[in-house]
Amino acid sequence: MTRAALSGKGAVLVLLGAAGALLTGCASIQQSDVEKVATTFEDPSGSPEVRCGLLAPTALVALEKDQSSPCAEAIQQLPLQGGEVSRVDIWGGEAQVRLGGDTVFLTQTHAGWRVVAAVCEERGEAPYDCEVEGS
Amino acid sequence: MRRHGFLRANALSLGFGAVFLATLLGQAISGTADYNAQQIADGLEPVSFLDYVTSSSFAVDVMENWQSEYLQFFLYIFATVWLVQRGSSESKKPGEEGTDTDEDQLVGPHAREDSPGWARIGGWRTAVFSRSLGLLMAALFLLTWGASSVAGWAAFNNEQLGNRQDPVSYAGYLMEADFWNRSFQNWQSEMLAVGSMTIFSVFLRQRGSPESKPVGAAHAVTGETAG
Repeated sequence: MTRAALSGKGAVLVLLGAAGALLTGCASIQQSDVEKVATTFEDPSGSPEVRCGLLAPTALVALEKDQSSPCAEAIQQLPLQGGEVSRVDIWGGEAQVRLGGDTVFLTQTHAGWRVVAAVCEERGEAPYDCEVEGS
Repeated sequence: MRRHGFLRANALSLGFGAVFLATLLGQAISGTADYNAQQIADGLEPVSFLDYVTSSSFAVDVMENWQSEYLQFFLYIFATVWLVQRGSSESKKPGEEGTDTDEDQLVGPHAREDSPGWARIGGWRTAVFSRSLGLLMAALFLLTWGASSVAGWAAFNNEQLGNRQDPVSYAGYLMEADFWNRSFQNWQSEMLAVGSMTIFSVFLRQRGSPESKPVGAAHAVTGETAG
């Protein structure tokens, strides 16, 4: 085997390793971002303005329309139970965080991960029934 | 022997290589526009071209087509060893089914001076080289079908979450109708294409194409292609 072939193989291994580390690193950063947004949104002791800022625009509009009040008031009426994060799933620009007392769906926006559905009840194979839900 | 320049001597491969890259780019551009139209309709933010071409959505659309093309060639290469179609330029003559004699195939002691080394050497290397085209197509089919299943799994789960449904495991995805529908819809079109090419070449001609019999060849003549 020539030296060029050896160094070529080495370069491929280094590239694969770097790509793997980058992907793992990205996935782990994304997981922590998603988890943080979901738990901050669900935290009843948090600032209502901050929590409302974590809603995706369509979910914010839907919440204010459903409750006929500004988000900062409406969010305090929601039965958000939060709890410990038991599982985080991220697939492309969509994510799901399962907490002890709720399941939250998030979507990736230019401003970061935002809550698109919350206060969700599981219904087997049918879509979750969510009290707060943007399109 | 007349010598031709590199471009002319490799025009078929280079031409299709260039058209492949152009059409892949076309798919990427139109795919980004289509994906973003759907994102906007769903009240979501559009994605960049780079985000789209690195997404599972683009990957599964590319891979599900590649796998079916390689399946088509793999099956056709192996099937034409054993199955014939009377009158088709794509077929051997009836009675010639099988792998031929070593003499006809120029292997082992029958190899010529310019035969590839692995055709001459015998043993496992000649056995592998004798099937290398079909084996490569089979390997590429399995590789791209596997990639299609992984990309399809990611795209399916992305859609599941967008529909407020739970994601599924990889094993669960292989049992989903989505995976099999994507596979079968591509496979059936490839089988139609090769099947119709086989039978059309019995009765129709394309002057100058090695894929066709000479224009004046009888319909019943099998396996003769224009020189």
